[in-house]
Amino acid sequence: MDMRGAYGDALLELGKSEPRIVCVGGDTTDSLKTKKFGDMYPERMFNVGIAEANLVSIAAGLAIAGKIAFASTYAAFIPGRCVDQIRNTICYPNLDVKLVVSHSGLTVGPDGASHQQIEDMSTTRAMPNMRVLAPADAVSVKHLIKTIAFTAGPFYVRLPRPASELVYPESAPADQFKIGRGNILVDGSDATIMACGLMIKKAMEAADLLKRDNGLSCRVVDMFSIKPIDVDLVSRCAKETGAIVTAEEHNIIGGLGSAVAEAASENYPAPIKRVGVPDRFGESARDEEIDSLLDKYGLTTKEIARAVLEARSRMQK
Amino acid sequence: MNMGFNMRYLELKRQIREVRMLAIQGIAEAGSGHPGASFSAAEIMGTLYFRKMNHDPKRPDWPDRDYFINSKAHSAPGFYSALAVAGYFPPDEIRTLRKLGSRLQGHPVRYSDHQKNHSVPGIEYSGGSEGIGLSVGIGIALASRLDNKRSRVYVLIGDGESNEGQIWEASMAAAKFKLDNIVAILDRNRIQQDGFTEDIMPLDPTKDKWAAFNWQVFEVDGHRVEQLMDALTKAEEIRDKPVMIIANTVKGSGIRHMANNPQWHGKAPSKKQLPVLIEELESECLIAPSIIAGAKENYEEKIKKVEREGIELIHLDVMDGKFVPNSTFLADTIKKLRRSTSLPFDAHLMIEKPLEHIDEYIDARCDIVTVHVEACNEGEFVQIKDKLLAAGISPGVAINPRTTFPEWLDPYIKDIDVVNVMSVNPGASGQKFMPEVLPKMIALNKNLREKGFRGYIEADGGIDAVTLQQVYDAGSRIFVAGSAVYGNSDIHSAIIELRHEAAVALERKLLDQATRLGVRKEWLNARKHILIPYATRLGIKGELHAIE
Repeated sequence: MDMRGAYGDALLELGKSEPRIVCVGGDTTDSLKTKKFGDMYPERMFNVGIAEANLVSIAAGLAIAGKIAFASTYAAFIPGRCVDQIRNTICYPNLDVKLVVSHSGLTVGPDGASHQQIEDMSTTRAMPNMRVLAPADAVSVKHLIKTIAFTAGPFYVRLPRPASELVYPESAPADQFKIGRGNILVDGSDATIMACGLMIKKAMEAADLLKRDNGLSCRVVDMFSIKPIDVDLVSRCAKETGAIVTAEEHNIIGGLGSAVAEAASENYPAPIKRVGVPDRFGESARDEEIDSLLDKYGLTTKEIARAVLEARSRMQK
Repeated sequence: MNMGFNMRYLELKRQIREVRMLAIQGIAEAGSGHPGASFSAAEIMGTLYFRKMNHDPKRPDWPDRDYFINSKAHSAPGFYSALAVAGYFPPDEIRTLRKLGSRLQGHPVRYSDHQKNHSVPGIEYSGGSEGIGLSVGIGIALASRLDNKRSRVYVLIGDGESNEGQIWEASMAAAKFKLDNIVAILDRNRIQQDGFTEDIMPLDPTKDKWAAFNWQVFEVDGHRVEQLMDALTKAEEIRDKPVMIIANTVKGSGIRHMANNPQWHGKAPSKKQLPVLIEELESECLIAPSIIAGAKENYEEKIKKVEREGIELIHLDVMDGKFVPNSTFLADTIKKLRRSTSLPFDAHLMIEKPLEHIDEYIDARCDIVTVHVEACNEGEFVQIKDKLLAAGISPGVAINPRTTFPEWLDPYIKDIDVVNVMSVNPGASGQKFMPEVLPKMIALNKNLREKGFRGYIEADGGIDAVTLQQVYDAGSRIFVAGSAVYGNSDIHSAIIELRHEAAVALERKLLDQATRLGVRKEWLNARKHILIPYATRLGIKGELHAIE
C-alpha cells in the first residue's frame, strides 16, 4: 500500500473533524494525494504552483493566523528549494506547519539524481524546533499524520514514492507511534538493526538472513522518529545487543545513522555501522530497475547483513 | 472623493518624530543597526500603527486585529520604536537593542510564549531573511478570509529585497487568490547595501511590474502621511485584487547627512553626536502658505502651485468681518477646496463665537483648527477642543500680538497641538512683522514646554526670508508665509529661499550644539557635504576647507 495514499486519506479525515486543517500544494497535489482534501474542501486547499519558497511561507502565514497548515510537494523541493524559509519562517517562530513530502530517497527512480533527495533529513534535523519523521508504512503514516496535526510546532515527514508492503498490522493502535520513540519489530540479542522508511523491510530480511546463515539473533527497530531520536532505546540496544547497524534511504551523512551514532557515542558507545547512500549522487532507473539501483548504491539486505557482521567483529570480547 | 483624513495630523507628525528619535538612540547605543531603512519607513509604520490599523497594544493577540508584517526586517530599530510609541513596550527599552539578553533582537522575532525572552508583544513575524514577508502575509490573509474576519494585512517590503524571486512568486499568488484584504507597501528608497538599486538590480518600471502582476497600484510620497492615508483608505474600497502602495521615500530621511546616502544603510552614528541628531529630528519645519495672500485668483490654482513645490500645509485664514474687519471665506469654501488636495488644511479661525461654528469646520475636514483665545472663554474652548479631538483634528490656539497666553489654558496644554503666535494684528494680508513678538515667543516656548506642551509654535504674520530666521531661533517650527510666497512672481524660487533660510537656521543651531558638546570637528566631518552651501553664512568656509 502506498504511503502517499495513506497521507491523503488521513488528511481528508482530519479535515472532516478539524476545521483548522488547511493544505498548501505546489502543482503536485495529485501526486501527493492531497487533491482529495482539496476536492472535498476547496476553500481550505491552496495550490501555489511551482514556487516552494512561497509555498512554505504561505503555510507559515496560515499558521500565524491560527491554522494547522500541511505543506506538501516532493522532497527535492521541500526542503530542497526552501531551507531558508523553513528555518526562518517556520522553525524560528515554532509555527504549526507540517511539511509532509514524498519522493524522498533514491526510489524516485527515473527522474534521476536531481529529484533523488538524500540530504533532507540532514538539513531539517539540524534546525532547532523541527521534528523529523520517516514512517515505515501506510499504517504508520495514518497514525503519525493525526498525531502531528495535534502536536504543536513544525514537523518534517518524508515519504517514498513507491508503494510498499505493510510492516504493521492494519489494526495497530495509534499509541504504538509515539514521537521520539522507536518500535522494536523483531527482538534479538546479538546486534540491533535500526532502520526507517522503506529500509525496514530490508532490515527484517537481513535479520532473517543472519539467523539462517550465521545463527545470529538480530533485533530490528523501526526508528521512524529521527528527531527526536529515542536515546534511551539506542542506549539500551547498544548495551543489550552490543552492536548497531543503521539503514536509511538517505546519505549516510546527517540522517538516521548520524542521529543514532550521536546518541550511542554519548550514552553507551558501541560499534556502529551505517548503511545508506555513500555520500554520492544517485542516477536514473526505470521503475522495474529500482532494486538494481538500490543494489548499486548499497541499500540492500545483503549489505545490511554484511554491516552487522562487521560491527560485531569490532565488539570487545 | 473627499480628502482630509481626521488623523490629528500634528500629533501624528510628533509621534513619528518620536519614532525616529528612539530609533537613532537605539542604533547609537547598540553601535550597529540600519538607520537608513528605519527612517525611510518611519511615516509608513507611523501612519499604520498610530492611525490606520485596528490593533490594541493591551491585547496583542486580539483575533480580529489587523496584521503588520515587516518583511524588510532590517528596519527593526524603526519598527521597535513604532511599537514602543504605540504602547507595546516601554520606550526606554530601546537602549537594549541588539545587546545580549535583549528582547530587541537585531531582526524582530515573532512573539510567543516560546520566544518571549527574545521578542516583544505585537511582533507577528520573524524576519531577517529577505523577500519572504509578503508570502507570509498572504497566508494570514487567506486564513482571515476563510474565517470571515475583517482583519487586514499590511506588509512592508523593501526595494532591495524585491531582487528576491519569492517577492514575485508571492505577487502572482496574491492576485491568483484575489486577496483584497492585503496591502503591500513598497518602501521605495532606491538604496540597497551595495549602492543604488537601479545600479545593483534595476526595479523600474516598478509600477508597471506590479500592475502587470494584476495588483491595484497606488504611488505616493512615502514621507507624506496624508498621501499614505489617502492610498490606504482607497485600498479599502478595492475588491478582488491585492493593493500595492509604492511609497517613494528617502533612505535616512530626517537627518540630512544620512539622507539618500548609501553609506548610512547600515552604520551607527557615534554616541557623542546623538544629542545633535535628536535636536535635528526635533527641529522638523513646516511651511504653510496662506492662500489669501497675493493677487486674487482661484484658490484651487493657488493650492496647486504650492503643492507642486512639496509644501507641507495649506494655511486658511478664515475671517468673518466681525472678529476682524475683513471677510475672506468660511467653512463652505474650505469644504469645496477639500476635494482638490490631500494636503493638510491649517484653518485659522478669525471669527466670533467659534464654538457655534466649529461643527462646520469639522464637517469641512480641516486637519488643524486654530481658534483665537480672544474669541472664547475656558468653557467654550474646552468644548471646541473636545469636539476637535473627537473628530481627529489637531486643536490649536492663536494669540494676538498684544495678548498674553491665558493661564486658563494650562490644564489643556497637552491637548493643544499648535500655538499660533501672531506677529501682526490679524485681519489683513501683507502687514509688517512686529519684532516685539520675538521675546514673547521665546518665553512662551520655554514656559509651555515646561507645562508639558508637545506641539508646534506657529509664526504667523510678516514671515519672509529674513524674519523666518528670527522666529526659528525663537522656537517656531511652522511658518505661515503669505506675501513671501504668493506675493512673489516666482513661487518656486520663493519657497526654495524660505527653505534655505530654515536650513541655515537649523545648521547654525546644530553646529552650536555640536560645539558645546565638544564634537564640532566630528560634526563638520560627518556633515561637510551638507554644509558647503551654507559655509559663508555660517562662517565655516575655512574650517570646511581644512577638512577637505
